[in-house]
Amino acid sequence: MKPVSPETDDELLIRIQGGDEQAFMSLYQRRQAPLYRFALHMCGSVSVAEDVTQEVFLVLLREGCGYDPGRGTLSGYLFGVARKLVLRQVERTRGDIALESESDENTVAQLAVTDDPLIDLTRREGIENLRRAVQALPRRYREVVVLCDLEEVDYADAAVALGCPIGTVRSRLHRARALLLEKLSSERSPRRTIAWNPVRCLS
Amino acid sequence: MNCQEYWDTMPELDALSSGVHPHLNECAACAARMNRQRQLSAGLRAVSASDRRVGAPSRVEARLRAAFRASAGITPSPWRTPWAPGIVWAAAFVVLLALAVVVMRNGSPVAPRPAPSRGAELALATHSSDDSDSEYEGFIPLPNAARLSDTEDVNVVRVEVPRSAMLALGLEVSPERASELVAADVMLGPDGLARAVRFLDAEGL
Repeated sequence: MKPVSPETDDELLIRIQGGDEQAFMSLYQRRQAPLYRFALHMCGSVSVAEDVTQEVFLVLLREGCGYDPGRGTLSGYLFGVARKLVLRQVERTRGDIALESESDENTVAQLAVTDDPLIDLTRREGIENLRRAVQALPRRYREVVVLCDLEEVDYADAAVALGCPIGTVRSRLHRARALLLEKLSSERSPRRTIAWNPVRCLS
Repeated sequence: MNCQEYWDTMPELDALSSGVHPHLNECAACAARMNRQRQLSAGLRAVSASDRRVGAPSRVEARLRAAFRASAGITPSPWRTPWAPGIVWAAAFVVLLALAVVVMRNGSPVAPRPAPSRGAELALATHSSDDSDSEYEGFIPLPNAARLSDTEDVNVVRVEVPRSAMLALGLEVSPERASELVAADVMLGPDGLARAVRFLDAEGL
């Protein structure tokens, strides 16, 4: 007996547009978790991630939702919607925890665990350190790491979601990984705390 | 190929390239750097695996389902089929009537009214309407119940039934009050079987 292949996202979307509730819930079950995690990684707020996930699927219920199969997959489109919603939320709440606004010293202290943090990356504590390091990345690098490395979205879909060419996705990911390694390795050469004692310049 | 040219190809992003690039055999620094990249990849996979069960809470699904139904014009209903409520209420009503009959036959805890002659009952009914169904003066014949002849005596017993029982007889009942009790007179034939029912408080349906 030939196994029945599951419906594609596009097939489900056609049924959804015909008012099929079961198709809507099937698509939700299939796609909600990666979208929720993406939003959670990007904003660090459970409630925002929840709202973003909900709003992404509500977009599908609107006429002319903007999805064009010729430009990419539905999954990539949904990530793109989620990304825009996250950015909107971040701007609204000013809750971005991007690296630029964060103290490097704090980050270093959080990551300071072992002599070689890279060795422990697959252990529990190492996983948490790496998670924090990802969250401390600047947004444009964080989103590409979350999409491509954590959610295993392929580069083509990531390009759709981010609205940029695949080459840009790769170069950002390349740079993001370099930043992560720098952060994780900074324990090896921690910055020395310099006590600034005011002195009079006599020259 | 020098180091810069090698890293410009972004080799760490090509997961499928499992073979060792010749440059890594020649350059220990790049080999070490690539090793760190692989450790980072393993760490990111571990983070991904640890988050794999994380998903939106179930209330999101419930809200989306409601939104979908609203957009599709689907009225939420606790019943899977439109005829299910009628079946349930009718069954409940029949059971209650059967209980009332049993109670009457075995000595009712509710004092029955003195058995009026059917003629008296009908006398009240017939002057108000020519409709044969209204000859019971507010009594509604039960479905599939035998008709009473003019010479038969009847007993009337007062019972309390859920207001939802009215549904079985085609009366409207608001869902909010469906579980309330309502007093009803059940007309029993000489054989003790219920023939008709009259609800005493039909207001506020």
